[in-house]
Amino acid sequence: MPFISEEESKVSNQFLNDGYIVQSINKLQLVKKIKYEIYYIINQKKPESEFDLNDFFDNFHKKIELSELNEIRVDLIAKLNALSWVRESYYEIAKEYLDLIVGNEVSMQLRVNLSIQIPNDDSSLLPLHSDTWSGDSPFECVVWLPLVDCYETKSMYILSPEESRKLYSSFGEYMEIDSEELFNKIQNKVNFINIKYGQVLIFDQGIPHGNRVNKTKETRWSMNCRFKGVFTPYGDKKLGEFFEPINLKAASKMGMKYQQPKISKK
Amino acid sequence: MAYRGYIFSRNFMEERVPQHVQNLVIRDYCRVKNLNYLLHVTEYGAENCYIVFHQILDELDNIDGIVMYSLFQLPLDKSKRLGIYDKILRQKKSIHFAVERLSLFNAQSIERIENIWDVKQTIENCPKIVEGLSNG
Repeated sequence: MPFISEEESKVSNQFLNDGYIVQSINKLQLVKKIKYEIYYIINQKKPESEFDLNDFFDNFHKKIELSELNEIRVDLIAKLNALSWVRESYYEIAKEYLDLIVGNEVSMQLRVNLSIQIPNDDSSLLPLHSDTWSGDSPFECVVWLPLVDCYETKSMYILSPEESRKLYSSFGEYMEIDSEELFNKIQNKVNFINIKYGQVLIFDQGIPHGNRVNKTKETRWSMNCRFKGVFTPYGDKKLGEFFEPINLKAASKMGMKYQQPKISKK
Repeated sequence: MAYRGYIFSRNFMEERVPQHVQNLVIRDYCRVKNLNYLLHVTEYGAENCYIVFHQILDELDNIDGIVMYSLFQLPLDKSKRLGIYDKILRQKKSIHFAVERLSLFNAQSIERIENIWDVKQTIENCPKIVEGLSNG
């Protein structure tokens, strides 16, 4: 009997081969609760129906001015992170898959992020990058949670691990160019992730990824948060400043408290 | 009443942060959290010295609490940290850690802060297997 189940093996291999997994969320009520909270923070009232809620998110660009967007986003992030249940729910939403990819004793980013990308907005883009290029530990994974269906440029893109290795092997050639030129060199090799509301994406942030101007007719809403094994190496995103252990196991607590008896002569 | 700022003039856990940067981070934290900020005090540079910190603990009656730059500026010795928490909570005050944006105000938050400390001190003994990475 193998130590790793067939299901875990399948998910792990998919993650290693593609650089990411997209899985169905079994606790969708928690995502819905976060969506309701966002709606409430902005509108100061509850949505009248499920249609009202979904329409609000997809057509958010029709309800605001672009100049208001950043202030709304920053305010939402602050208010969501002030609610302890949001981070707890975020972990719970992805836990069954994090258990397989990262482990069941994890450090979680102290704050959950929110992206809002309205159609044709080029002011809130994340150009091609890998988080590890700016100091993240390669042991970190990103849990990316769409609050709406995401497809084509309404979604994010990622390079495959194989193409990433090719890019890394010739990285020295690209030191003099900017990230847009770098994107142009690999644009026919990136995958825009097709993911529906009700699914969750976990990806390897060491692989180049980013987003483009949203050319669809709907607003993209997504959240993201990083996770890593508690005792794996930390990068520039440090313990305390950026990560905290959220579910230390008894054996770890036991080990960390252990003190060898001191032998001294009377 | 208000919160007393507290910064270091020495390295801590292999970190060195310029004093004016520590002060900026504390001021920003107080602004965001709407805390009334009293001028900061600076700890002496001698290793393991907490003379200035103990002076603040002695004036807790007159302030709401302490905002220090980092939780890793607390003493390395766990029993000393627990003694500090106990003193602060017994007087119904709080201590805040600006760069981590965390605070300690009840038993539950002690566990949160101490879990971070325990892992931090343990991870120092774990292999740093990726070239160029520093442990948290």
